Amino acid sequence: MKTYWRSIEELANPKELRRDEVREEAKQKSMLMRGDTALNAASRRDFLKTFGFGIAAASIVASCKRPVDKAIPYLVKPDEINPGTANYYASSYFEGNEYGSIIVKVRDGRPIKIEGNELSSISQGGTSARMQASVLNLYDDARFKGPLKNGQEITWEKADEEIVAQLAALNSQGGKVVLLSSTVISPSTKEIIQKFAEKQTNTEWIQYDPVSASGILEANRMSFGTAFIPDYRFKQAKVVVSFGADFLGSWLSTVEYTKGYTAARQLQDGRKEMLRHYQFESGLTLSGSNADVRFPIKPSEEGAIVLALYNAIATAKSGQLLSGAPSSVDVSDLANDLLENEKQSIVISGSNDVNIQLLVNGINQLLGNYGQTIGLENSLMTKQGIDGDTDRLLSDLKAGNVKALLVWNANPVYDHPKGKEFAEAIKKTGLSISLSERPDETTALCQYVLPESNLLESWNDLEPKAGIYSLSQPVIAPIFNSRQAQATLLKWTGADVNYRDYIKNFWKETQFPKQKNTTDFRHFWNTALQNGVFETAQESKLTYSSDGISQAASQIKGAVSGIEVALYESVAIGNGKYANNPWLQELPDPVAKISWDNFAAIPVAYATENGLKNEDVISINGIELPVFVQPGQAKDTISVALGYGREIAGKVGDQTGTNLYPYIGIENGTRQYFLTSAKVEKVAGKVFELAISQTHYSMEGRPIVRETTLDNYIKNPVSGNELKAEHESKSVTLYEAPVYNGHHWGMAIDLNSCTGCGNCAVACQAENNIQVIGKEQVRNRRIMHWIRIDRYYSENPENPKVSFQPVMCQHCGNAPCENVCPVAATPHSEEGLNQMAYNRCVGTKYCINNCPYRVRRFNWFQYVKNDKFDFASNSDLGRMVLNPDVTVRSRGVVEKCSMCVQRIQEKKQLAKLEGRPIAEGEIKTACSQSCPGNAIVFGDLENPESRISKLFKDQRNYHLLEELHTLPSVGYLTKVRNTKA
Amino acid sequence: MRKSYLLRHFFLRLKAFIFLLLLSLLIFNTIPLSASSVEDETDEFTEDHSHGDIQRGERFFKGLLPTDRKFESCVSCHILTHSDTLNWNPSAMDIAQKFKGKDFAEFQSAVMQPNGKKMEASHKDFKIEEEDLKKVKLYLDDLAVTGPPSTGPTINQIVIFLLLGLLMTFALLDLIFFHKIKYRFVTVLILIVALVVQVKMVADAAINLGRSQNYAPDQPIKFSHKVHAGDNQIDCKYCHHTAEFGKSAGIPAMELCMNCHVLVREGANSGKFEIAKVIDANETKKPVEWVRLHNLPDHVFFSHAQHVGVGKVDCKQCHGAVEEMDIMKQTSDLSMGWCINCHRDTKVNFKDNAYYDNYMKLHDELKGGGIDTIRAVNIGANDCMRCHY
Repeated sequence: MKTYWRSIEELANPKELRRDEVREEAKQKSMLMRGDTALNAASRRDFLKTFGFGIAAASIVASCKRPVDKAIPYLVKPDEINPGTANYYASSYFEGNEYGSIIVKVRDGRPIKIEGNELSSISQGGTSARMQASVLNLYDDARFKGPLKNGQEITWEKADEEIVAQLAALNSQGGKVVLLSSTVISPSTKEIIQKFAEKQTNTEWIQYDPVSASGILEANRMSFGTAFIPDYRFKQAKVVVSFGADFLGSWLSTVEYTKGYTAARQLQDGRKEMLRHYQFESGLTLSGSNADVRFPIKPSEEGAIVLALYNAIATAKSGQLLSGAPSSVDVSDLANDLLENEKQSIVISGSNDVNIQLLVNGINQLLGNYGQTIGLENSLMTKQGIDGDTDRLLSDLKAGNVKALLVWNANPVYDHPKGKEFAEAIKKTGLSISLSERPDETTALCQYVLPESNLLESWNDLEPKAGIYSLSQPVIAPIFNSRQAQATLLKWTGADVNYRDYIKNFWKETQFPKQKNTTDFRHFWNTALQNGVFETAQESKLTYSSDGISQAASQIKGAVSGIEVALYESVAIGNGKYANNPWLQELPDPVAKISWDNFAAIPVAYATENGLKNEDVISINGIELPVFVQPGQAKDTISVALGYGREIAGKVGDQTGTNLYPYIGIENGTRQYFLTSAKVEKVAGKVFELAISQTHYSMEGRPIVRETTLDNYIKNPVSGNELKAEHESKSVTLYEAPVYNGHHWGMAIDLNSCTGCGNCAVACQAENNIQVIGKEQVRNRRIMHWIRIDRYYSENPENPKVSFQPVMCQHCGNAPCENVCPVAATPHSEEGLNQMAYNRCVGTKYCINNCPYRVRRFNWFQYVKNDKFDFASNSDLGRMVLNPDVTVRSRGVVEKCSMCVQRIQEKKQLAKLEGRPIAEGEIKTACSQSCPGNAIVFGDLENPESRISKLFKDQRNYHLLEELHTLPSVGYLTKVRNTKA
Repeated sequence: MRKSYLLRHFFLRLKAFIFLLLLSLLIFNTIPLSASSVEDETDEFTEDHSHGDIQRGERFFKGLLPTDRKFESCVSCHILTHSDTLNWNPSAMDIAQKFKGKDFAEFQSAVMQPNGKKMEASHKDFKIEEEDLKKVKLYLDDLAVTGPPSTGPTINQIVIFLLLGLLMTFALLDLIFFHKIKYRFVTVLILIVALVVQVKMVADAAINLGRSQNYAPDQPIKFSHKVHAGDNQIDCKYCHHTAEFGKSAGIPAMELCMNCHVLVREGANSGKFEIAKVIDANETKKPVEWVRLHNLPDHVFFSHAQHVGVGKVDCKQCHGAVEEMDIMKQTSDLSMGWCINCHRDTKVNFKDNAYYDNYMKLHDELKGGGIDTIRAVNIGANDCMRCHY
């Protein structure tokens, strides 16, 4: 059998690692028992405190009067709101260049959970971890509480008055005003900006993205005449080749791509074909770890390889060959595979180099992919920033040409390579205004801060893809004294209209005529608002021209020697906008499994040669970074995540990790997200502790990931899963088989569809009030996530095969945890759930020790209302996000996945009230509902017609540790790799 | 030998002494805790009139001034303290709150020109000097700030507990030293009985900790379920209208009260005073802050929809004879044992609800005659997951 390992240490010596782990665990526990003796030894003073407290507590209990609770009814009850019943509103998420159509769950006036909107053709009901976590941003104490002028509070009226006067003065002198924003995809906002520019005659609007798609935009301008990002349809592709584009983790529209990608790879219901995925990359990204064939390369090698691929395909198509630098990788097999799948392939590159993107366009054109797998009609709008514009702005600012700067939703001081120069320039600008929701490095330098509302408090209309529109609606009144940026701009143009009416009117004029379903605008508007999306058919008249491609090829430089550093956006933190979100900070990186920091991922061979190990510190061009030995990291490369090292973000994000934005290079006018010829040195004697959770919860080398290849699967569907039959044939038990009368809830997880993105972990956290415990406690292996995504490596450590496996409570029929609980706090329910009664639990932790799946979590501390855990749940505002349907656990109790029993109960209730059986797919757990890969299916195993019953009969289905005869209610479908035989 | 014997008994005595000491400590700690005062806030009201004026007003209100009036004192109707039984008349505190910050003329006209049947009957031909009435108003304004006089804690239980402790100590002392009581078994009996009673007291207190059967707090409005649900036969679900489909039965919004009270402005018992609060709440846009009666612990997720909507349980079964309650009280103890017992007994309407079609095995058994009824417990009503998650 294949050997699976989770870290280099485990590969080298699994037994020793396990021994070390046990030792470490024991040490942690004993430390907790002992306390730090020097600091915590009980003194006389402590004794008096305890004694005094005891007396006081006793006397309070003696005179025990219940606290009087008030029940305050509505004055006028809104029809749709019933206390205790959730309402759902369609809205849209667009932040940090990521778009998703969402459904917001509102309980008693508080938005508490975000789900995907199934009506959207883009996100298709899926979300990303960041979308899930965004609800917490609403309840962030760090947000601005009201408008400020030079740090002092000011009223909106006063601020408006002063700014309008200054703008008017500038207008009469012809002074230049610049609006610097992140990409705006709202058609009505664009119109408002245009109106503002009409009034303020000398206005320039610059869109700026910290991690830009400038290369693609510019390349398409040359190839098609317009700057746009095409519509990649992974669902229709048979072969995907990605050059450094982490399209499952961070590149452009990840949820949409994951939906399409997993749909093209799933093998349920007798499907026998799947997409093949080639990935060229330096660090091991989420996409790379899902790829069937992965080539670890240096960033500087990429251009030559793309060129070689172009030439290989051009040769076959007898097209014109281009000359340029030679490739280091033989791409003939790849070219053949692509040629066999003409019009059914996608070639993409994450590079920001226009030349590479031009060649990629050329390849896609040769393969006939345009109009097939790569659409030109519904171009993606989420990244519009052109790198050259901000450089021009900077020189204008420095020269004093810009008299007033409006910064909206952009933070160039932090995330522009020349952030420091921006900072100096902004300080000198006559009028600087920030329209930011929360403090950041840029707002700190602006004279006026006019805080905008959170996206859940705002109206908006969006056009994420050409012709595909969606609406945002507020689901809560602004918590603080904030105002939408659009409303602010409207006010300054002198228009006396609120933004909602403005959008409504705008839609009446622009979108309403585009449809023929209804002639009543009110009906159209209400439908669009309720659905959240409005999609129209588009046509494209763009034609490809090979202009500039030969010049591009000639400009491709060959590989450079020396160590290269690849900079990437991490799956959780992204570009750093959400750095103050504790859920995201604690979400382990999908591949490295590190939370709370960025780090330098170095190749295994390099580590051995230089005597480096995890948590050592190296300096890269003078930047000190902790080391993490990453299997699969390309030779002579180091990967470091962007988005960390914020200085002004809030209590969680400040000084977490290191900021790498200042080291981004600029080449041919576009920012290049890698450094060449980096000087790397070991910082002797320095250790930086990382919250690495990759080796937590070991399963002791037992075969829990099962996989096969597509060829073998077609020959024999049981391939890779032969053990199941063996285990079943040997199964003997003393226990009676559990009997289920009505329901038996279960879950099936298709390992072929799970990309490991981490959305489920955050979705579960939001649904089930799972607490953030901070870096130190994560290090102490106490992470509370009810669903963890195990990541296993196999084969060659220089370029391993990766498997992801989400593991949560398996709800065993013969649960080992149940019969060791001395207080019956975790019995089995008639519906197959392994229940957890928190108020019965006395914290013996026997169940944790007896659970072979390591899915039970213990509350070592009080994580709520505790200054030592100053994250989301330490303030009244932060606790607003708690789900009132789930108990907030206190110190000393065990918790674990409940299969979202509150959702099961809610839907059962509804079905009973309506006197009908529960419909298939009606109950969804938090993890399954928004999974962008549709990897998790929840349902009733007692219903033979249900989807889950069918999946349990699939020949790929197996259970974890079947040999223990625990009879789990969770099944896994084997992973199938589409490697060429 | 003798010495060690004495020493042992000295320690026993010492233990008893410490025990008593601790108990008395408990009591002394209790009293100051419950008697909280807000004296510092009174200053603003005593600016332009003396403390004596307020005192005179108080005396008048309480009928302590020697007058030959043929009227009852104010306090005889408008009581100062919260009461266990419903007094329909507005309490002194109620009146104080209502007229706080309003001028004297308004107060005077309210007292002297009774409006509504109930008030006319008691305030008719009421005579009082204007000066005196002003002082009463001063007193009431003061009362609105200082709050009603506090009542001492009920320490009966603790006193009994202590007396039993004393009794035991004496019994013990007699048994060892004095030998005043002739028959030893009497002392032993006293010891044992006292101990049993004490243990019982502690156990009862512990079981009832966090439970509040018969809890019937004063509400901000003297709302009578008897008048509404009993005398006037209003259906429970008219006001608690989410009971059938929501987790919570719902407390009616203030506008719902106005459906009737837009016309019904005077009640048979309370006159206009109480109903005026509802009308005021609607006018001032300040909802009434009711005192919550049924408090389930936070880890219990109870759903009215399941019981009222699906199970068709009568409201009375848990809430008691609400239509006979002037003051609403918690009838059941809402303990888990109480829930579980009911689930064991309650029959499920298994055949008529298509939801239960899933339960094929049970349907077969029913048809086959293996069982005759399905009770809630048979379909997992007593599983932890039903209420705790």
